[in-house]
Amino acid sequence: MTENNLLSLIIFAPLVGAVVNWLIGGRLKNELFSSVVGCGTIAISTIAAFMVAFGIGTGQTGALFADKPIFDQIWTWIQVGSFRADFGLAMDPLSGIYACFITFVGLLIHIFAAGYMHGDKGFYRFFAYLNLFMFSMLTLILGDNILLMFVGWEGVGLCSYLLIGYYIKLDEARRAAKKAFVMNRIGDWGVLIGIFLLFTLTGSISFFDKTVDGQHVASSLNVIAQMAQEPFGWGTIFAGGITSIAVLLFIGATGKSAQIPLFTWLPDAMAGPTPVSALIHAATMVTAGVYMVVRCNAIFQNAPTAMFIVAIIGCATALFAATVGLAQNDIKKVLAYSTVSQLGYMFLACGVGAFIAAIFHVMTHAFFKALLFLGSGSVIHGMHHEQDMRRMGNLRKYMPITYVTMGAAWLAICGIPIWAGFFSKDEILFKTFAASGPLGNWAYVLWAVGLATAVLTAVYMTRLMVMTFFGEERFHQVLDEAHHADDHAHDDAHSAGGDEEDEHHALPADFKPHESPWTMTVPLVVLAILSTVGGLVGIPYAVSSLFGAGDVNVFHRTLAPVIVEVGKPHAIAPAGEHAVADAHAASPAAAVPSHGEEAHDPHEISLERTLAVVSVILALFGIGIGWMVFSKEPLRALPKILQDKWRIDELYNGYVVDPITKLSTQGLWKGFDVGFIDGIVNGIGNLMVEAGNAVRSLQVGFVRSYAAIILFGALAVIGYFIYYGLKLVG
Amino acid sequence: MDLINQNLLTILILLPTIGAIGAIVYKAVTKDDSSQRWFALVITTLNFLISLLLFTRGVPAVGGFEFEQNVPWISAIHTNYHVGVDGLSFWLVLLTTFIMPLSVLCAWTAVEKKKTAFFAFLLLLESAMLGVFVTLDLLVFYLFFEASLVPMFFLIGVWGGKNRIYAAVKFFIFTAVGSLLMLVAIIALYYIYAGAVQGSGSFDFVEILAAMQSGKLVLGQQAGMLLFLAFALSFAIKVPIFPVHTWLPDAHTEAPTAGSVILAAILLKMGTYGLMRFNFAFFPDQARETAWIFITLAVIGIIYGALVAMVQPDWKRLIAYTSVAHMGFVVLGMFSFTELGMQGAVYQMLNHGVSTGALFILVGFAYERRHTREISEYGGLANVMPNYAAIFIITTMSSIGLPFLNGFVGEFLIMVGMFESNILNITDSTNWNYVAAMAAGVGVILAAVYLLWLVQRVFFGKVTNAENKKLTDLNAREIGLMIPLLVAMVVMGVYPRPFLERTDLAIKTIEARVMKSAGGAVEKTELDTKALENR
Repeated sequence: MTENNLLSLIIFAPLVGAVVNWLIGGRLKNELFSSVVGCGTIAISTIAAFMVAFGIGTGQTGALFADKPIFDQIWTWIQVGSFRADFGLAMDPLSGIYACFITFVGLLIHIFAAGYMHGDKGFYRFFAYLNLFMFSMLTLILGDNILLMFVGWEGVGLCSYLLIGYYIKLDEARRAAKKAFVMNRIGDWGVLIGIFLLFTLTGSISFFDKTVDGQHVASSLNVIAQMAQEPFGWGTIFAGGITSIAVLLFIGATGKSAQIPLFTWLPDAMAGPTPVSALIHAATMVTAGVYMVVRCNAIFQNAPTAMFIVAIIGCATALFAATVGLAQNDIKKVLAYSTVSQLGYMFLACGVGAFIAAIFHVMTHAFFKALLFLGSGSVIHGMHHEQDMRRMGNLRKYMPITYVTMGAAWLAICGIPIWAGFFSKDEILFKTFAASGPLGNWAYVLWAVGLATAVLTAVYMTRLMVMTFFGEERFHQVLDEAHHADDHAHDDAHSAGGDEEDEHHALPADFKPHESPWTMTVPLVVLAILSTVGGLVGIPYAVSSLFGAGDVNVFHRTLAPVIVEVGKPHAIAPAGEHAVADAHAASPAAAVPSHGEEAHDPHEISLERTLAVVSVILALFGIGIGWMVFSKEPLRALPKILQDKWRIDELYNGYVVDPITKLSTQGLWKGFDVGFIDGIVNGIGNLMVEAGNAVRSLQVGFVRSYAAIILFGALAVIGYFIYYGLKLVG
Repeated sequence: MDLINQNLLTILILLPTIGAIGAIVYKAVTKDDSSQRWFALVITTLNFLISLLLFTRGVPAVGGFEFEQNVPWISAIHTNYHVGVDGLSFWLVLLTTFIMPLSVLCAWTAVEKKKTAFFAFLLLLESAMLGVFVTLDLLVFYLFFEASLVPMFFLIGVWGGKNRIYAAVKFFIFTAVGSLLMLVAIIALYYIYAGAVQGSGSFDFVEILAAMQSGKLVLGQQAGMLLFLAFALSFAIKVPIFPVHTWLPDAHTEAPTAGSVILAAILLKMGTYGLMRFNFAFFPDQARETAWIFITLAVIGIIYGALVAMVQPDWKRLIAYTSVAHMGFVVLGMFSFTELGMQGAVYQMLNHGVSTGALFILVGFAYERRHTREISEYGGLANVMPNYAAIFIITTMSSIGLPFLNGFVGEFLIMVGMFESNILNITDSTNWNYVAAMAAGVGVILAAVYLLWLVQRVFFGKVTNAENKKLTDLNAREIGLMIPLLVAMVVMGVYPRPFLERTDLAIKTIEARVMKSAGGAVEKTELDTKALENR
């Protein structure tokens, strides 16, 4: 077992930062101190994460290339009977990739936040929360067992709650914060029950085989991988087997990763400060669900029914959210629905078994979506906290860096070749199309919906770009009030963080937007570069072979060992018992062909190329539509039902929340507790009073009637017992 | 030192009583009614420090007790003053001595009339509660159990809110009726023991249990069930288990802060402690047979308590109803009859003591400032009382069961235990153990709903009520008394092992007694093999 204590440093550096900022930063109230502590600790994490992942200066093979994970056992958290949960960390290729992009993107967002939050009273508190979030998120991905993952899972939920509700004076923010926590909690129920079932079935909750204190801890995933695949059928969901675990875990994923039906919290979460939206609600936390599904791919692969559900839900969410994103006017709301939609793609990929493609999209999405959010933050900052795109326009003249960098993200999300999103999205669509084997004709339906979503994505993103950066300047345009109240663009920082409380940002007549300071533009530039070239780590063979290159898909090669071949032991099994006979032991490259999805069948290659061409054409088509429609008429009204987000919130409130509240108030509390139980007690009391009055006119009070009940009751019972006691003894 | 060690438990029980008498005498002599709080603080703190000596001895052997003392009391009826601690009572004693100084502190300025009597009752209450947890003689146990009612009755009835008389009487009636039944059962056991050993009767827990385990004392089907139910009802009212819980919201709400804290943190534990100590040990078969009833009621209580808590307009009553839900978890874990579930149950007793105790203290702070419990009267408190808000939110998270805070460990173990359990293997087609655990899990969701909604309404938003604008944040005493509780929440959440290790052996013993007394162990392995085959 390879160990490296740097793993602890990765998670604890941010925790220390959070505590220092909370306790000391709160007294100093110095922005420089807080931002140096906040960003500095994340920088330490980032360096440590890259060192362990790539094996730089650690004297070990990097976790990304090693055939066994690198461990760091910290302490045994809970141990009761056969149940054991360690506070232990592990980095394998999957958590290695996650750790690298989370710390790196996190660092950029922290730097951005130092500029964005300038002048906010709660500056230190904000950085304390952000650091606490990083601690939780890194615990989530580095935890070596599912319970520690769940600790991080709940931790990010808490931080998300605190950060959404950061502007505590805003009604919208506090409501959104609670909604996010509760929606996530519903999902967490699934994860929790899933963990119980996993433990009951396998007797372990560890992800990996390992040895702690001389004790062997078996990997629960290994045990599942060796079980037989469950048949396809709805009955398996409730059978208490592998499919049940998979479905329960996926319920958790729908909460955390905002999928149907638990997605409604994410758009509301935009009430938080923009860096939070970028870090938590776009780049990192919301992809935790994808991480869990891929981490537990052994479970999902053995549960075809669950895989089917994952694919359908993912695909449906992708399309649904894209339609809503089309009609929103708040720049952050558009991006929020776009995030939901892109997460749908990732689950679609998981559902069709393309786990690596899902992670690939997680990574590229982290780059371009963080960029889009930070870009929108820059726009909001430059526009003095205006978020309504109807009051923007022609910003490219005033904010050239923001414009160019967001342009890169726009091309990436639309799926234009060489930009990062193209490779990942295309791989998902191709894998969906090619999954026709297990899914039958459903694969084509899923593929078609995915393609349609891609077109819609191109349209709404183009609309966003056009409304924000092109056309005429609409800064002073007065919006018709009904509309404005309807999707009220809340004021991001000033009215809430500061003391001004003007809801209708009346901009001065000579108002000119301005470009943001360097702390904000540098992260934008770095992310723009990553959004442009970041996809090159995962060029599929079908593309690279066009240029005469061999298989250059580094991303696939790195992650391949994480994906279990079900029915066989886990790829990263301990060498101990199984000798080192595994193919992986020789070299990672040699291991690749053993994975079915890596074989280069010429027919598949030409199919992949054809599909890629189709999707690029459709993406360009979408951009074209967006450009033609919205450059002419940027304020074009869209269908009401889309603006109203299909009225899902109203549906939930009307059919779930209200009836439960009513039942609890009228039925349980006033009906049962006060009416029935206390009614009986008081009723008997009153009866006694009546009886007492009938016998003789006494001043009988409440207390007295109670005393009477005790006496009668107790006498009766005692009599009964004495009778029995005598019978028993005698 | 030896003297203290030998009489440790007796000292713990007597010291508060002596303190109470001292306080009254001092009042009578000096007519000073304001310095008794110092008296109470010193005594309770001293008692806490002395109770730390419990750590000097390890975990007792199976069926044994540490710091045991056994002296005849009334020899005519063979009742002894027999005390001792084992893994089950160890932490409950410490919980009691830990909470008491804090509840004295939270009543520091809140009590305005008859201060001497108030603090004297608090001290008497401590004696009674400690007596309950360490006594191994049934008759003496009963006396302590009843004795704890009296101070609480007066605390609610004299220093309570508007409806205090109703609440106090209701509290007294419910619990007194229950314990009368227990008294009858105790007397019956005495005679049954006498008949079984052909000699004198006994109230001694250890002796009776030994006679039962050796097969000398065998209870008939019906007698066993009646005795079980008599004990169980008395404890169920105390816990309280749905549907005999309706005394609790009134008592909790009307009691003065210190009373609510003690009621929630310690008094309720007497019920669950009693079930585990007496019902499971004396009547294992009956406990197993009726487990499905208790589990059903526990699950109903969890969801019911949460739903009713959710819609309460009264802040304190809301917290009170959460106790119904949380204690439901404890009952669920106990009746899972698995090591995990029962360990979780004991741990959850401590967690509930710390978290809910803390919540009541916090509500008290707001009440002391504004003299209202209506949630709608508050709003935006985080703006004027930031420290208060931060502490309240941390406590809320602990109560909700956020990992790395105490509540999570207990709830998790209880639900895993229920999942693993075989106690509800009633039908082949549905695994009711799973169903119970899954339904209890819904309570975890609801906990987040009602507490975060409360936080949202009380702390967030703008200050709309003018009266809240001039509120002052917590003072040093208030923060100081919350710190031990906050530390406990974190330590118990992050490093529960020392706690669980102490209780481990006692729990294993009880589990073995319940599950093996009817070949439970054999049944269990058979079922496991069957379950494996099904896969």
